Amino acid sequence: MMTTLAQAGFPAAMHQITLAHYLFISGAMFMLGLIGFLTRRNLIIMFLCTELMFQAAGLALVAFSRFHMNMTGQSFVIFIVTVAAAEAAMALALVVLLFRKRESLDAAEWQEMKG
Amino acid sequence: MDQVINPLALYGACALGAIGVLLALPRRDGKNPQILGAVVASLAGGIVLLAMGLKAGGLFGIGYSPSVYFYVFALMALGASLRVITHPQPVYAALYFVLSILATAGLFLILSAEFMAFALVIVYAGAILITYLFVIMLATQAPTEDLENALTEYDTAAREPVIATASGFVLLAVLSTLMFRGVGELPKAPAVNGQALLAEMPRKIEAALLAAGTLPGGAKVTFNSDGDAKVDFAARTVEIKLADGATKTVPLPKDLSVTNTEMVGFNLLRDHPGSIEIAGVILLMAMLGAVVLSRKQVQMDEDAKERHSKLLSAELAQGAETNP
Amino acid sequence: MPSAFLGVLVLNPASSLDSMLDSMLVLAATPATVAKAPIIAGDPLALLVPALPILGLILCTLCAIFRVKSKLPAFLTVACLAGAFVVTAKLFTGHDGGVSIASGFQWMTLSWGEEPGQRFIADFSLYLDSLTILWMLFVTGLATLIALYASEYMSHDVGLGYCRFFAAFNLFVFSMACLVMGDNLLLLFLGWEGVGLCSYLLIGYFYKKPSAVAAAKKAFIMNRIGDVGLILGVMLTFVHFGSIEYREIFAAAQPYIDLAKAGKFSEIPAIVQLIPILLAVGAFGKSAQLPLYVWLPDAMEGPTPVSALIHAATMVTAGVYLVARTYPLFLLSEYALPIVAWTGALTALVAATIGMAQFDIKRIMAYSTVSQLGYMFAGLGVLTSTGAAFHVVTHAFFKALLFLSCGAIMHGFAGQLDLRKLSGVGFMKGWGVVGLGMFVGCMNLAGFPFTAGYFSKDMILAEAFVTPGMAPIGWILLLTAGLTAYYTFRVFFRVVVGPMHYEPGDELHHAEEDSHGHDHHGASEADAAHAADAAHGHAHTHDDHAHHEHGHGAHFHPHAPGWAINTVLATLSVASIAAAGLYFVKSPYEGGMAHGGAVPGMVERSSAAFETPFSHHGVGESHETIKEGGHEGADGHAPAHAEGGAPSFVPTSIAKSQGEAAHAGSFLGWDPHKVMYYVSGVVGFVGIFIAFILHYAGRRTAATARADALLPAFGPLAGWAQNKWYVDELYDLVVRTPLWIVANIFHLFDKIVIDGLVRLVGGIPRFIGGMVRPTQSGELHGYAAGMAAGVAVLLFLVFMLTMR
Repeated sequence: MMTTLAQAGFPAAMHQITLAHYLFISGAMFMLGLIGFLTRRNLIIMFLCTELMFQAAGLALVAFSRFHMNMTGQSFVIFIVTVAAAEAAMALALVVLLFRKRESLDAAEWQEMKG
Repeated sequence: MDQVINPLALYGACALGAIGVLLALPRRDGKNPQILGAVVASLAGGIVLLAMGLKAGGLFGIGYSPSVYFYVFALMALGASLRVITHPQPVYAALYFVLSILATAGLFLILSAEFMAFALVIVYAGAILITYLFVIMLATQAPTEDLENALTEYDTAAREPVIATASGFVLLAVLSTLMFRGVGELPKAPAVNGQALLAEMPRKIEAALLAAGTLPGGAKVTFNSDGDAKVDFAARTVEIKLADGATKTVPLPKDLSVTNTEMVGFNLLRDHPGSIEIAGVILLMAMLGAVVLSRKQVQMDEDAKERHSKLLSAELAQGAETNP
Repeated sequence: MPSAFLGVLVLNPASSLDSMLDSMLVLAATPATVAKAPIIAGDPLALLVPALPILGLILCTLCAIFRVKSKLPAFLTVACLAGAFVVTAKLFTGHDGGVSIASGFQWMTLSWGEEPGQRFIADFSLYLDSLTILWMLFVTGLATLIALYASEYMSHDVGLGYCRFFAAFNLFVFSMACLVMGDNLLLLFLGWEGVGLCSYLLIGYFYKKPSAVAAAKKAFIMNRIGDVGLILGVMLTFVHFGSIEYREIFAAAQPYIDLAKAGKFSEIPAIVQLIPILLAVGAFGKSAQLPLYVWLPDAMEGPTPVSALIHAATMVTAGVYLVARTYPLFLLSEYALPIVAWTGALTALVAATIGMAQFDIKRIMAYSTVSQLGYMFAGLGVLTSTGAAFHVVTHAFFKALLFLSCGAIMHGFAGQLDLRKLSGVGFMKGWGVVGLGMFVGCMNLAGFPFTAGYFSKDMILAEAFVTPGMAPIGWILLLTAGLTAYYTFRVFFRVVVGPMHYEPGDELHHAEEDSHGHDHHGASEADAAHAADAAHGHAHTHDDHAHHEHGHGAHFHPHAPGWAINTVLATLSVASIAAAGLYFVKSPYEGGMAHGGAVPGMVERSSAAFETPFSHHGVGESHETIKEGGHEGADGHAPAHAEGGAPSFVPTSIAKSQGEAAHAGSFLGWDPHKVMYYVSGVVGFVGIFIAFILHYAGRRTAATARADALLPAFGPLAGWAQNKWYVDELYDLVVRTPLWIVANIFHLFDKIVIDGLVRLVGGIPRFIGGMVRPTQSGELHGYAAGMAAGVAVLLFLVFMLTMR
């Protein structure tokens, strides 16, 4: 059984794993998501990459929450999940529509906003 | 606080990681050295984690330490993320994303955020990713026998990989530098005493006392004017009211504490009730939007419209006759 | 009487008045009864005169709101106007010849200091004196009669248009009441613009007819030119005299009047001398004098009752009223009255020559109106404001009669107005009253002996020869009298008598009706335009119009006027004849000023009289005083053209005794007052006789007359006269074309320079935008990469800045 927060105390639970460790992981994940978003051309994968970035942000928030012993960080992750779910629903519906139109998921297909 | 990692090692690892990711990204010519890229990228990640682990000193420490799990989950998460962005097949990318979520959930557990960990698995891996998979199935061409040919051109070719990777890793390097240097100087926020919430859960205390056998029959936990239980945290005792009306102080059970889920629940519903409502509205709107967007649009010419309207009016008229 | 002592002798402390003038003022103020006396409160009943037409306006508007489809608005209007007339008549009988002021309400009171000149007061108060009452008598009387006439004349238009017509009609009478009765120049200006507005509205009554719209605009714009002069005059009056209330102006002007009487015009400030000239410009615009007369003939596009009331009898005499009302100011300038006189005389002549050559009887009447207005101005200019006012009254009656008769003909013959296509109308069945009305009107206009027009015209003619230096004007007016007689009876002999013949006006009438914008008619612009095109007497039949009551061609039957029109025409005929009697009736006021008949007797008691209460009986060098002296010699108290109620001439002994004035004050050596009766009578006879020879004797058809044979003898003159001396074209060339050219130049300037600047301002960002446009590829990745790179750069900057 995991020790509870109260019993573990701070910073004993983290031992020598500091906040910086988590933040680095979070940053690296975010960066990978960003690179994916920039390089991949499949719309679905691009959305997956945004989810990856959400994950990274969530990880950072939870780490901060633990660091500060404040639950609001975790509450924010709930909202992130909510928004991610909403975004996934809308975005995927749009992707389906777009796919119906062009029979392709290439993001470069849509350039109507060109200046 | 001295630095978690040597800046030069960090930059070197970043450059190495960048090369690795660059190599791992899908290429148009099909001769992409993905394996090599993955190895190089893992090497970079390993260097950083090793450096951080050395600093933490827990990696080779003896005895139970959650830091081992941290490294396992961190490597899993980063590796899975790398595969998400480099795998040419969307279905596999999605599955690797599930893996990265599971790893993140593990990290959450280490951070003793159990509720978030399980919520993440349920919502992300269970719901959102299934939706992704559905859409991937819907929105890809029928697969042929030849696997290579089944891949579309836009899946196999990365776009501007050099610039993207460079900017991404520059970002990471700068961000990490700032993080590692500044974290120690961050003033600590006053910790919230999570156990104080216990007083707000008298039923839980009663149940715990009952389970421990220290609650006499017909006794109840007494409340103060706010409806909170009269808990003495220093002495870990609580006041109860016996059936005959007399009050008595009993010790709290040893393992009685506020769980993470309870804390998150109190935080959400007591401190951010408006945000919860807004989140609900966002979800509702997203649902409506998705329904409207994905509705099948039927194209009708003028004749068909006329026919349908006639049919409809005839039905209405009939309805009016039968429904006086 | 709350404001009893409000206006007591406010003297302008303007710096131009030096101490000498101040001392003169004290002396002069002694006999100036009006200035010294406290304000006499007028009969508050007078306020009903402007109030009743406003009531009528409201009722007509209500009728329009409730879509009344009957003649109700007409009868409401007649009732209101008749009420106003009755009130005016009561004022007349109760009037003692003095000046009184009926206070209405405070209208404008501006004050920016305690000094007398730092107050601007314009109350809605009515200035009641004999001139006002005289004017309102014939305005309300004629308005009542003409409203009754219009109730039948406009009957084809019952509905919204009918309400609109009578609402404007009421508004006109209200405006006219403000103009005439206001006790200050601002109220006069309000009425002045009000009548101008109503004139515009009513000329453009058939607003779907392009020519009517053009005529309305022309009238409005021409009037604005005159109004500039008027408003400048009013402003200068305030600036110089410190008030725009008549009684204070007159009081403040008194020292200048004394100076003028002494002939010392050089001592009167030029700015004061400018005031009457500016006012005269306003009067010329409103009363259609040279060079601003061209709008009046075009104004005949309006319905005939409008032409009769506004453009013949009342509004156009507003200019005459203005000059008469501010007559003391006109005495202050050496040049103002000669300008008025010469403008009037030349207008009279030019309009008469044009009128001789026209074929449209309504236009002939319009030109004769211009001509007669010229007479009135000439009369004012030659110092017989009494004669001018008398002519205004007589002219109002007989010209309204003539117009209404023409309107009846036009109404009955489907818009036919060409005198070559009508003949013998007076003898047709049911047209007797019209013929009689035409006869009476023509006799008056031609100045046939012992008609009202004869007496009033005569007073002006005689006075022109009496006044020194004005003899040429007398000769011009005499010639005009002959021409007037000719062209008047040309109409009479061609249209009223002679062989019976007519051609209906085809669709002109129909076009009028259709162009009212009736919904149920569904008339289109094209229809109206087509109708207007066909309105030249070509009797072609259109099946789609066959239902129309007037019909066309062979089926046409002129419909004789009904009871309302006949009643009005008969009443006006009797009134026109009876107006001659005014010449023999004594002045209604006591005080021995009764000479030359009732009307001059009334005018003499007001500010319009040359011998104003403000003057005192000195003998000076100026021509005014010469003339005054002449009268004084005869009567000892007041001037006179006649004595004891009967025409008898007083020799202008003093005038004759004055050296150079002796020649000017005679008519070929005879006394003008005496001989002018015979001379003008003979001239009138000659004109009528020529018309008889040329247009009646031996005429077999409507179209041809003996006059046609004479036309070549005049060479191009006849053609030029028929084309109105090309005045419109001249204006076009002199005013419109240069303006058009200038406007085009500015248009080009606007296009090239102004627009160029704007384009330049817009072009710079457009150019920059074009430069950076490629960055907006529309590709999702481009934007994302930009964002990521931006964040990286920002973070890098932070990193560099926080490096220790």
